[in-house]
Amino acid sequence: MAEHLFIISIILFAAGSLFALCFYGWQRVGNYISLIFAAIASCFGIATAVVVLSGGSPVHIDFHLLLPIIKYNFLLDPLSAYFILTISVISFVACIYSLGYINLYVGKRDIRFLGFIYNLFLLSMLLVVSANNAFVFMIVWELMTFLSYFLVIFEHENPANRKAGLMYIIMAHIGSGLLAIAFFIMFTYAGSFSFDDFRQVASQIPAVYKNIIFFLVLVGFGIKAGIFPLHLWLPMAHPAAPSNVSMIMSGVMIKTAIYGFIRFYFEFVTPCPPWWGVIILIFGAASALLGILYALQERDIKTMLAYSSVENIGIILIGIGLSMIFRSYNLMALSSLAMIAGLYHLINHAVFKCLLFGCAGNIYYSTHTKNIEELGGLIKRLQVTAPLFLVGALAISAIPPLNGFMSEWLIFQSLLNGFNIPSVLIKIETIICGAVVALTGALVATCFIRAFGISFLALPRTEHAKHAKEVPVIMYVSMGLLAGLCVFMGIFPARIMMTVNHVSSHLVGINIIKSITAYDWMQTKIVQTNFTGISPKSAAVFGLMLLAITFGVLTAIRPRFARRFYETWTCGISPEPRLEFTGAAFSRPFAVIFKGILRPTLDVAKVYSVPNFFVKSMTYVGGVTSIFESYLYTPVSNFVLKASDRVRWIHTGNIHVYLAYIFVTLIILIMFFR
Amino acid sequence: MDVASKIVLPLLQLIVIVGLAPLVKGFINKIEARFQNRRGPSIFQPYYNLIKLLRKDAVVSETASWIFRATPYVTFISILIIALLVPVLSSTVPANFTGDVILIIYLFALGRFFLALSSLDTGSAFGGMGGMREMMVSTMAEPALMLSVFTVSLATGSTNLGNITSTMVDQSTILLNPSLFLAFAALAIVIIAEAGRIPVDNPFTHLELTMIHEGMILEFSGRYLALIEWASSMKLLLLLTILVNTFLPWGIASDMTFPAMLISFALYVVKIGFFAFLIVILEMSFAKLRIFRVPNLLGTALVLSILAIISLYVVG
Repeated sequence: MAEHLFIISIILFAAGSLFALCFYGWQRVGNYISLIFAAIASCFGIATAVVVLSGGSPVHIDFHLLLPIIKYNFLLDPLSAYFILTISVISFVACIYSLGYINLYVGKRDIRFLGFIYNLFLLSMLLVVSANNAFVFMIVWELMTFLSYFLVIFEHENPANRKAGLMYIIMAHIGSGLLAIAFFIMFTYAGSFSFDDFRQVASQIPAVYKNIIFFLVLVGFGIKAGIFPLHLWLPMAHPAAPSNVSMIMSGVMIKTAIYGFIRFYFEFVTPCPPWWGVIILIFGAASALLGILYALQERDIKTMLAYSSVENIGIILIGIGLSMIFRSYNLMALSSLAMIAGLYHLINHAVFKCLLFGCAGNIYYSTHTKNIEELGGLIKRLQVTAPLFLVGALAISAIPPLNGFMSEWLIFQSLLNGFNIPSVLIKIETIICGAVVALTGALVATCFIRAFGISFLALPRTEHAKHAKEVPVIMYVSMGLLAGLCVFMGIFPARIMMTVNHVSSHLVGINIIKSITAYDWMQTKIVQTNFTGISPKSAAVFGLMLLAITFGVLTAIRPRFARRFYETWTCGISPEPRLEFTGAAFSRPFAVIFKGILRPTLDVAKVYSVPNFFVKSMTYVGGVTSIFESYLYTPVSNFVLKASDRVRWIHTGNIHVYLAYIFVTLIILIMFFR
Repeated sequence: MDVASKIVLPLLQLIVIVGLAPLVKGFINKIEARFQNRRGPSIFQPYYNLIKLLRKDAVVSETASWIFRATPYVTFISILIIALLVPVLSSTVPANFTGDVILIIYLFALGRFFLALSSLDTGSAFGGMGGMREMMVSTMAEPALMLSVFTVSLATGSTNLGNITSTMVDQSTILLNPSLFLAFAALAIVIIAEAGRIPVDNPFTHLELTMIHEGMILEFSGRYLALIEWASSMKLLLLLTILVNTFLPWGIASDMTFPAMLISFALYVVKIGFFAFLIVILEMSFAKLRIFRVPNLLGTALVLSILAIISLYVVG
């Protein structure tokens, strides 16, 4: 059953991508057909995941295509199915959204290519999380990287986008290289590339090699996930891509790296020593805090969202790292709890980040700017997009009763359970992580208050914002689906946790769903841990009841309550956009407080009409320095450039010399490997 | 516990919190005036203000959107839900299953989120300034708040405030744990900051250079202002209630008999009055801090709470 659905999904994606190429004259039609194919394919993807997660046993799928020697092995186990579910839900919505968004490009550029790559990109992600063979995995992993690279440089006439693409492709390949090494080390012990064999050989690998694999995988997948300090490409590449692509990249593509982490650390190289988990925890906490600090200073809304993805990956990694620590101390139930927390946050982040990127896309669609300082007043112009963005902002800020809150709550509960760990040092570390998550949560709220407040509220700051019009219906309807999901997943967490539980019980080998959910007095499910229980649904019901009562009382006190509208008091002059608070001012205090990390810069230039007395105009340039770029990446890239300068003399351009090189190399190889 | 008390107790909690909150504010104002050799307004002045405001229409900025009009309700309701979750008179909290202290912290965040948004909504720079400062203070307070809560939770084995209180009552030796003293100190500092009292924020001023909370609510009027004022006084009372009933829960009712409730109420009023008096002393003896000194103060709270956790783990 599951395998048939999966194959249908693959075929539909492939067919859809070809349709986009066929219609030269009617590019719009071609793209519509291919997107609709992709949307249907995503539905089949969802069906596949549902079948596997609803208790079906893992399904092996083997192809023998092209070359008879290479077997194309795929496996649909609960972990794959969970990622397929996440990818398919997001890609379904993204495809519907794209039906509207591509209007931005129709007639301006050749979009056949966009539909073609887009479908294949979605397909490649599905294959990455289901590949059951290192060889196949590397092929589809590379395919995913290349396809997303082409999408990043879609608007290639902009040099910034080309630079972002270059950065992305270089860093992604460093990561792929490291992964290839890790796979080869596994291969030398397993004797084949099949993941099934990888699962069996863990006991034969010496500890040193395990540690090497750990670091190779950490960096290799870490680059894709965008953890600090390997994040550098992420805030460049995600904003450069069209919004319907960035929502996929930020929403799900970076999660494939999390998939890789889980596969390796929970299946291939087990059992892991506690310090592995500690390292993951530290990287997670650092990514969470630093990601949001940079996001807060950003004025490009898409770059801001990209940095916030770094932050959320950090929170997911805290869950995964904690799960690893618990597992290495044999605290299986807690390991499962932390894993549920991490995976719950993973799907939550996919949903609200896709929603937020979609809304950012709506803003760009109607104003042609991504700079929040040029927006303002959009709530009266984009009347549907505004509440959708607000839902996304509330969800990502972990405000109850939306979904972000539930997963952060679970993360907190798992961190609190760190007291079960025997080592005092790790105990204290889990608690410090709790403080970091709390600080991060508050910073996220600030960041999204700023993003929403500056771009949607008050008066429009520029003509672009003033003449903004609501986007086509299909674009906000698709985002509305996600906003609905945000509410649903927040109010009925037990439902989602039961799904996630299949994955964690498969990985950790213990089923804790009975102990973490219970029935409350209304006979519906609540979530509970050893510390407490929580029922966001009841909180929401109480809230609505109290609202009704409050409203009733207020009306009784003043039955004919009326509002008069008048302009804001601005000290005697008419309100003007120039008087409004700016995003830069809103985030400045944080640049001052965290100046050790952010290194804020400030450049004030004054032009005087009368020297030293009357200022005619002032220019204020503020910003933050990326310390990783200036202290880590620039020295390395300078070194590489210098080194390649040194060895340049061997490139003479003379073909005879090159032939001599080949000959010498051959002789050396023969000498060593007789 | 029977069904009647399941309904009566939450209502009682709501009535106490909603009813007493303006009185705490009036009490603080009155005592503070006395310390300054003024006669001061009546202790019931906050009630008169609220009634006056509730009977009025509102003037709303033309620039503002529905966010501005929704904010007072969101703020008020989020505080009311918290009032259901905090043990006030009895250590049994019927609405316990709804959520724990982490939910409470994030419900405070919900109210703050909307207030800060509406501060930007009217397009005046004062509002934005207030919103920005409020977010800065609360952000810096958050880790210390969470860690001191964690300390208490780990010492009592629950994050549920009702359970924490009953554990504290049952095993009173827990209170001698040195880490709880540190957590108490950290929480006290955080509460001063969250409630917007001197030395972090001055609730009496409308001078744009110094105001934080008052800056955010500058544009509200009529019913909207009443709801927000009421919510902020309830927030102060609730924070004090959490402090009192977590660290000094003596005398809190554990059954639903009338005399027990009465004693509990009397003790509650005395305890809250004591802490309100401490706030007055604090406000009398300190000047407001410069805004960029506030993170240092909250950093102190963070260090205290980290020490609390470490001592809990190391000393045991």
